[in-house]
Amino acid sequence: MALVEFKDVTRIYKAGDNELRALDNVNLTLEEGKFIVILGPSGAGKSTLLNLLGGLDSPTSGKIAVDGNDISAFSDDALADYRALTVGFVFQFYNLIPTLTVFENVSLVKQISDNALDAKEMLTEVGLAEHLHKFPSELSGGEQQRVSIARALAKNPKILLCDEPTGALDSETGVLILKLLLSMTKNYGKTIVIVTHNQNIAKMADVVVRVKNGKISSYEEQENPCGADEIEW
Amino acid sequence: MLMKKMLRTVWNYKSQFISMIIMAAIGIGVFLGFNIHWHSLRTNAFDFFDDTHYADYRLYSNDGFTKKDIDAISRIIQVEAATGYLSINIDVKDFNNSLTLNISDNYTVSTMFVTSGTEYDESIEGVWLSDKYAAANGIEIGDNISLLYMGKAINLCVVGLCKSGENMICVADENQLMPDFESHGFAYISPKTFENMVGSILYPQVNIVSSLEKSELIKALENAIQKTVLVTSKDEHVSYAGVKSEIEEGKTMGSILPALFLSIAILTMVTTMHRITVKEKVQIGTLKALGFRNSKIMMHYASYGFLIGVIGIILGIVIGFLVAYSISSPDGAMGTYVDMPEWTLHLPVFCVPVIVATLALLTLIGLLSVKRILKGSASDALRPYTPKAMKKSLIETLPWWESMSFGAKWNVRDVLRHKARSAMTLVGVFGCMLLIIGGLGMRDTMTLFIEMLDRDINNYETKVILPESISNNEAVQIAEQLDGDWQAVSGISYDDRTISLEIYNADNGKIRFLDENNELMELSDEGVYLCLRLKDTAKIGDTIEFSPYGEDIIYRAKVAGYFRSLVSECIIMSDTCAKLTGVEYNIDTIYTDISKSQISSYYKNATAQDKNSIIETYDLFMEIMDIMIIILVIAAIVLGIVVLYNLGAMSYVERYRELATLKVLGFRDNAIGNLLITQNIWLTFIGSLIGLPGGVGILYVLLKALADEYELSLYIGLHTYIFCAALIFGVSLFVGIIIARKNKGIDMVEALKGTE
Repeated sequence: MALVEFKDVTRIYKAGDNELRALDNVNLTLEEGKFIVILGPSGAGKSTLLNLLGGLDSPTSGKIAVDGNDISAFSDDALADYRALTVGFVFQFYNLIPTLTVFENVSLVKQISDNALDAKEMLTEVGLAEHLHKFPSELSGGEQQRVSIARALAKNPKILLCDEPTGALDSETGVLILKLLLSMTKNYGKTIVIVTHNQNIAKMADVVVRVKNGKISSYEEQENPCGADEIEW
Repeated sequence: MLMKKMLRTVWNYKSQFISMIIMAAIGIGVFLGFNIHWHSLRTNAFDFFDDTHYADYRLYSNDGFTKKDIDAISRIIQVEAATGYLSINIDVKDFNNSLTLNISDNYTVSTMFVTSGTEYDESIEGVWLSDKYAAANGIEIGDNISLLYMGKAINLCVVGLCKSGENMICVADENQLMPDFESHGFAYISPKTFENMVGSILYPQVNIVSSLEKSELIKALENAIQKTVLVTSKDEHVSYAGVKSEIEEGKTMGSILPALFLSIAILTMVTTMHRITVKEKVQIGTLKALGFRNSKIMMHYASYGFLIGVIGIILGIVIGFLVAYSISSPDGAMGTYVDMPEWTLHLPVFCVPVIVATLALLTLIGLLSVKRILKGSASDALRPYTPKAMKKSLIETLPWWESMSFGAKWNVRDVLRHKARSAMTLVGVFGCMLLIIGGLGMRDTMTLFIEMLDRDINNYETKVILPESISNNEAVQIAEQLDGDWQAVSGISYDDRTISLEIYNADNGKIRFLDENNELMELSDEGVYLCLRLKDTAKIGDTIEFSPYGEDIIYRAKVAGYFRSLVSECIIMSDTCAKLTGVEYNIDTIYTDISKSQISSYYKNATAQDKNSIIETYDLFMEIMDIMIIILVIAAIVLGIVVLYNLGAMSYVERYRELATLKVLGFRDNAIGNLLITQNIWLTFIGSLIGLPGGVGILYVLLKALADEYELSLYIGLHTYIFCAALIFGVSLFVGIIIARKNKGIDMVEALKGTE
């Protein structure tokens, strides 16, 4: 069943007299419960695609439908609610609130979502039950990324959007994070969309979408994706 | 090239730079404004005193001074000039108001400055009128006016218009706070004219110009003339004392207020420059890596401080002169109080080094802000600034911490994490609250003062001033006819000071008295009452000694209590107590409810004053005070807005990434805005709580400084507290909303790129 549908989506950035066509007439359909990797070199438009899907940005033209709703026509408040209830974000640099503890960073989402899951449970799930009352600055990069994933999952979103989630981590930690993300699809049926330029991560995906020069260059469904442990970093 | 970088940095941080410039400009402006005001007032007024040969001493004798006495006084070494002098209040027919009529016998002391018409000549039979009185009453040179003296009308032609040092603050008596030329003015006539009016002239007063000390003069007088005289120095005369007190008040305002504004400006500058250099750390590292010397980079950042200083000072000078003009000019606040011909503005010399020092300090702040970053190697400087890691604070150990909302925790930690920024916000709000409470509290205090005078103490309609020639029996008879209370005032020596003794028969309740707590009280016949200014000199039950001024007789009386004398420094007693003590007195004033116009049908030779005309002068006084308070409140609001906006914007920039994260998580703009506004409101609440006693404290200090002039009772109405709180929270909310509106512009994609 199609969860996400991009229809003729174009995103143009203007800088003075110059125009940058970050996405050019993109058409894409993503199904629910899949582990999807969007692959492409720097500047290909993959992050723009993720930001549009996450409601952080709006297309210059075209339509983006998520769960049957045209989010490209949403008001600011409706987009905020969409981000609160439908999607969860995991960033390369975690973006945790430095003045809140690990537990508070995750339970923060209770402020915006009635369906929020228990913060403690989520943190136990990602293996951080012992660090609940530490501040982010007291954790390693991998641990911070796990907090970030716990926070995204605590919202109980339909889609988890990850922008280079292992980009700032060493290989060992990177594998741990990928395992964790994979388990979210397997155990909870979440749709995971990962944007990366790391070709190896694509081996784990149910669907690999390649982006080049603002266009979808290929769409590939993999019948037997490998596990996170099998990836050569 | 670095100049271009500086200009672009200034543009990037324009709101911070503008706020630092505004703070410096207000600080310098207030500093210059009040200091130019008092210095100009002193220069112009003292020059005018010199030009009109203002008397250094005034000698009084009940028997008057003969020509021989005056000659003898003139011969005292170091007495430069002496003249017989007469100054009496007389009524002006047709205009239903009064004049202080001045006669300077040999016209060497206490002269006038003729602004138009004929110069003074003792042979001219005419009158020189105060130009302001003439203007207020539509009188021109060549008009005739009719003066009422001892029930007799004397017609005189106005031959000139004038101003005089002697009447620089032109009030009918000490109960009139402010001049009101529609109801009271002054005039000069020659001795010959006066003799033609009344037959002869006896001078009860001699005015002298002398550099002698008061004690030396008294000794010299004892040798020169064989009579007891009362000597008062110019400090005790209304014009000189009034101007001097204004100068002192100007000096106080010119030191307390600028110190507050400049210190807040400097603290804001320190905080803001630190933030800017932290933001530019990588740029600073790049310059260092490129080979720029530390001194060159330091000079570059010093130039920021210098630029802010120069622009702030230029604007400050403009503001300073505008503030000074709004106070010290014929159209300004002082113009209605002080009457003098010259109102030029003079910059005190000490202001120049203060301005230079401020500029140097601001430049130094710019220089020091970058020094720490330059300490290490170029690669250290090239590393982006890492904010301090969070640690748990003591407050988090409190039992209710866990139950606090996310927003509250977030804000508490942010406040504690950015202590300097939070402290600066507190200082800004504190200063704002202090100024507003101080200013409006002063207004409340003065309003209460006037209300007490009008409602509680002066419970009469008309004040009747009796001529000196009247006997006590006659005076009592008139008082009975008028159904009034009477008063006898005389000068006494008490506790090494010259004060007045006021004896009252207040059986009809036309004149009343207030105790320390502003409650009405009855005068007992058991003893005297000391005004609060004399409270330290004797306890209740003590026996005090006093003498009629210049006489050897000593009276002893028990202290029955203290009372609040709003204006004069005095001791009061009932007439029965005076009789029991054996004090001699001459009744000089009656207070009655009979209207001013009807007084002459009871007694012709009296001068009557309407209470409303006295109270009207208080309203004028309040108008002047309102101008000062408006300046103060506007300055306080600007201060509040600038400090709160600057620090709020800084807080916004510093939390931009956190705010973007909240937005990505799905927080609505309003919810994020509320977080920012809440922090502002908290800091405003705490700053106000500290500022409130600060404002009351400042007011207390100000009232202490005024205690020699008035016994004011500190009073701040509930409505003022509410208004101040509403104003300051209004300012905070206004600034908070402006900053919160920026949330809409947060670029989530850009904000979340890069490392933390």
